[in-house]
Parts: sequence; structure tokens; C-alpha cells
Amino acid sequence: MSNFYLFDTLSLHAGQTVDKEFGARATPIYQTTSYVFPDTDTASSIFNLERGGHAYSRITNPTVGVLEQRIAALEGGAAAVCTASGMAATFCAITAILSQGDHIVASSQMYGGNISLMKNTLPRFGITATFVDPTDIDGFRDAIQDNTRLIYGELIGNPGLDILDLEAIAAIGADNHIPFMVDATFNTPYLCRPFDFGVNITIHSVTKWMGGHGTAIGGVIVDGGNFDWGATDKYPTITEPYAPFQGINLWEEFGPTAFATRIRAEAMRDFGASMSPMNAFLLLQGIETLSLRMDKHLSNTASMLEFLINHKQVSWVSHPSMPSHSSHELAKKYLPKGAGSIVSFGVVGGREAGKAFIENVELASHLANVGDAKTLIIHPATTTHSRIDAEALVAAGITEDMIRLSVGLEDVRDLQADFEVGFRAAKKIAGL
Amino acid sequence: MYIDVNGRKAFATTGGKPFDSEQPTVVFLHGSGLDHTFWGLHSRFFAFRKYSVLVPDLPGHTHSEGPPLASIEEMGSWLNDALEAIDAKDISIVAHSQGCLVALEYASRFKKNLKSVSFVASGLATPVNAALIDAAENNPEAAIGMMLGWGFGTAGQLHQGPIPGNSMVGGGQKVMRGNVPNELATDLKACNAYQNGQAAAANIEAPVQVILSRKDKMAPYKAGMQLVDHLPSPVVHIFKDCGHMIPQEAPDECRTLLRDFIFQNNPSS
Repeated sequence: MSNFYLFDTLSLHAGQTVDKEFGARATPIYQTTSYVFPDTDTASSIFNLERGGHAYSRITNPTVGVLEQRIAALEGGAAAVCTASGMAATFCAITAILSQGDHIVASSQMYGGNISLMKNTLPRFGITATFVDPTDIDGFRDAIQDNTRLIYGELIGNPGLDILDLEAIAAIGADNHIPFMVDATFNTPYLCRPFDFGVNITIHSVTKWMGGHGTAIGGVIVDGGNFDWGATDKYPTITEPYAPFQGINLWEEFGPTAFATRIRAEAMRDFGASMSPMNAFLLLQGIETLSLRMDKHLSNTASMLEFLINHKQVSWVSHPSMPSHSSHELAKKYLPKGAGSIVSFGVVGGREAGKAFIENVELASHLANVGDAKTLIIHPATTTHSRIDAEALVAAGITEDMIRLSVGLEDVRDLQADFEVGFRAAKKIAGL
Repeated sequence: MYIDVNGRKAFATTGGKPFDSEQPTVVFLHGSGLDHTFWGLHSRFFAFRKYSVLVPDLPGHTHSEGPPLASIEEMGSWLNDALEAIDAKDISIVAHSQGCLVALEYASRFKKNLKSVSFVASGLATPVNAALIDAAENNPEAAIGMMLGWGFGTAGQLHQGPIPGNSMVGGGQKVMRGNVPNELATDLKACNAYQNGQAAAANIEAPVQVILSRKDKMAPYKAGMQLVDHLPSPVVHIFKDCGHMIPQEAPDECRTLLRDFIFQNNPSS
């Protein structure tokens, strides 16, 4: 018997103290900007990080706090901070520890927004990145420079679906006193908890499977609490006195939650990319059924894979659960329940046939999102990854004919019937 | 800050203010396998109210140089050496769990500068299950699981807590992973071997406060009341719903009790 509550129990209860005044069973939506202090001493002590509590909803909010603590519990982290979006989470996490002149070693196979942030935006602020093929472990080691302060990747690469070898890359980070940050959006803590494999920080776009219903944008940064910031002088934002809080040394005072505290104290205060209470509530509803939904996503994905592999109008199919996938062994190691519900495939006839397919399916929605309860499809080369150059497209494993499928929770027989309509249209375009 | 204690480097946080030996001192002592971060919701409060605060990592723990000390008596002597090294005066001790045994030893033997002692979640002794000691030595992750599983009450196990976004269990787990196997096993064996609690309690002259919880599985309420029975006129507070980790599970209420007691018995100018 475990000493701790297990995943499904935490999905429902973690982080929530039942409302003492009215006994509300669901987490209340604290739609308020600010909080009445009982006295001046309490007010000053909250501002001075002497005690927990809420002062202003840009920094903390009780509804958002429940979501943060629930995700920290599910992920096995020491603390979590929610943000307005997944991209806000990535930006806030990076800028909490990197400054002008610092460098990132990042996987080349990531969401287009992540690549653009590191390739186009952060360099304007003096932070540069080297991109490495996620399957090239030596490449990660070789790319480390004296000024490297972060290793970054996605466990399941988007959209090529290569799996990062977490333990191998975490070991490179540990050898060089560099934290390893992973975007774990595609796996969720139900499929893999990266901290169990040496990862130090995780990022999620909780907009996706965690929320699961396509109703709210949000992000989260989870502090694994397992990086020794004090072992090196590379991270002064954590280990040196922080002037706005009377010279507090976050590492000395807060130890395993020092990184999360820095984000709370700086990013949420100065950048203000906070999550709204309403969004936190909607996302909590999703997390309550995370394991149930993920199991259904996985079983539907398996059925759709079989359907696509055997379909004459499909030129190729890629998913890490397939023995032919280059990451199959890593998927078995890190994602034993299943390698997620994103599938990439090509339509016979190339780009125009693919376009016809997308425009003729009706149940599957053509839009720029993944991880919804509803099935979604998109053509990455002209949408999500359209702002990155041709070289980066190749590095990201994106081909002109690639269609990214996010398998939803519909009855899979209806999905397959819908796809047949699309494939018939594609066949006509291809002149077959 | 780091201080030299008998030629070894010891770490202590001072709550965000420099240590000033001219001010009264509040010393916080952590329990088995833990470190200074256990007291984060208390130390900074006193440091910003004209007290000098010292929250040491016991030898071998987290930032302090080892080896860990093998007996509670040695830890009591080490604490005195540490406080003499920084010329601390007008001392209030606040201790949790194993730290309470250290406080018993210190308070019974080093009375000169002592103004008050606050015992949180402890008895006169801390007998430790042999299976836990064995796990600490041979399967540290299991030992950490047992201690955090028994240590936190239901609210803690459900990752509820006073600091938005923080998991008390998660944070404790990370700290303890840095203090295994040697430090935790040594701590537990020292607790198990300690037999001098009754005599030490009877010899304390400073004002004492005892804070217990009815639902404490690690230092059961009955054991805590034995401590109460052997101390001279203690002020006693009983929590109903906490586990063993009272300072983290009910920090605001606990801080208020500590504040009122220390402000009264060791006032700062």
C-alpha cells in the first residue's frame, strides 16, 4: 500500500481545501482582483514572503492556487505556478534564470512557437539558442557552451513525435550543472512524470489534454525542486540577494521551491502573465477526469493507427507506438501506458490531396490546437510551423504532405467514416 | 550564512536579515532528515521583528559540512558551540520533533542565555521502528515515503497548504532526498537511543511551551503529554486536525502561538 494518495485521487482532490463558509464541494471561482487584509501586520508579512496568502490576483489567486497545487501533486514537483498560456510559461521559466549573454541548448523538434521564441525573440534580449536533433544525444553535450544555462526540449516532439531520452539528457545537464526543462504538454503527468527521470523543470500548455475541452488557455511551470542551484555561480537570480524583497536569497530561504518563488516574485509581478480564475476553474474540471480521458484518447489512437496504416490513400503514418518509429524503444521506456494521441500521416497525392482531405472531413475539426476532447487536424507546414524557415522545417521533421491528427474522444467508428469521406476527395484530386 | 563550529562549516539561514548579536535570538531546530527550509514560514517573520534568527542545518544536512552527529547529546553540545561562535544572547529555542530532543539537552545543560523553549510535536523520547531505520539505511526512498506519509495529516497528503502553488509533501521529499541515507539513518538511530529526556526536562528552568496535535502519528499525543507532565509549568496548546508537521500544516496558528510566547518571555526592543 502506498504512503501517498494515488493519481486519480489527487486528480480530484489535490490542492483544494473545502470552502469553510458554505461547504462548496467544487472549487469556488474566486473572481476577485484583491483581498481584504485583516490587519496591517498580516498585509506586510504577505508582501514580505513571511507567510502564505493572497494580496492581488496577478500574483496569486485561490482558484488558480488549487490548480497549481493539483498539478504539482500530479507531476511530483515541489511547486507550480500557472500562467496565462503555455508560451507565457515557457517565457517566464526561461527569463527566471537566463539573462543577457546566456545560451540555451534546445531540441530542434518543438512547437513552432517555442522555436520562434528561441530563434527570433529571445536573441533580441541577448539570449541565444543552439538547436539539436532530439535523437542526437552527443549533439546536446557538444552544443553546451560556457554560457549555456538551460537545456530544453519536448518529451514528445511536435509534430515529428520523436521521443527525448530524458535520462541521457538529464545526465548531461547534471554533469554540467545546467537544469533540464521539458515541455511535457503532449504526455501529461498521467503518461509520464519527467521528474522521475531527472528532469528539473516541466512546462505544460494546460490548454491541451490537461484541460482537455478546448475551453480555456493556460500554462503551468512546475519546479521539480531537484536542482542544486547553489552548486554553481551560474544562477544569480536564484542564489544572490534579490533587491525587491529586501535582499532575500531565494535559494537559502526556500530551497526546493526557490525557482518557483522567483517566478512568483518576479515574472508574475513584473510581466503579469497570470491565469484568470475562471480559466483555472475550467481547467480543474478537465483535470478531474484526466486519466479517464487519456485512456480513451489512447484507445482511439490505437484504432485510428490501425485504420490509417491499412488505408490505401495514406502514404505513411508516424506514431511512437509503431515498431517502425525511430523512437519506439524510448516510447516504451518513458510512456508505457501509451505514446500520446497525436498521429502524423501523409495523404497519397501530396499537398493538394492533403488539402482536399482536410477540407472534406466534417467531424474532425481543422484548427490550430491539440489535446481537445474533439478530434482535430491541421497541415503544420502552412499553419503552426509556417513562421519558421525551410531549414528549420526539415529539422523539425515536417514534410509538405504531413497532416497532424489529434485524436479525440468520439466513437472511433464515426471518425473512420468521416476520414473515408476525406480520403475519397483526396483520391479524386490525386487522379487515382 | 556559514559559521565555523569546531572547525567545520555549518550553514544557517538568518531569515533574510543579517545576524546581529545585540538583538535577542530565536533559534529554530529541524527534525530528522530535514533542514532549515522546514521553518521558512516562521523564521522570516521573527527576523523582520527585531529578532536575530538562526536556523541551522544540523551537521551533514543539506548545506552543513558533515559528518552527522550520532547522538542527541552531541547535537545539544554542537548547538551550544554554534551559538557561542556567533555570540548569541537572550536565546529562544523553537524546535520540532528530533529538534525537541536536542532542545531538551541544550536547555537542561546550557541555561545562561536561555529565555524560552518552544517544543513542537515531540515527547520525552522518540522510539523509532526498526523497519524505518532499516529502510533509511537500505531503501531511503521507502523511508522518506513512510516519514512523509505518517508525518503529514490528510490536508498535507492532499497537497493543500498555505503557500499558493507549493506542495508541502513535494518540498519535503526533495529536502529528504538530499539527506539520505547517512544523515537520516544517523538521525533516527540517535532519536531511538536517546534516554535522557525525563531527566533533562526536569532540569529546565526557562519558560517552556509545548505545541501538540491530536492526530500526530509520529509523536503521538500521549507521548507529547508525557513531555508536558515532566516540564516545569509548560504552556500547552493542542491542535485537533494537524499531523506531525504542525509548523507547515498550520503555520499561521503556530506562528501566532510562538509569537505570543516569545514576545512575552524574550521581548525585543
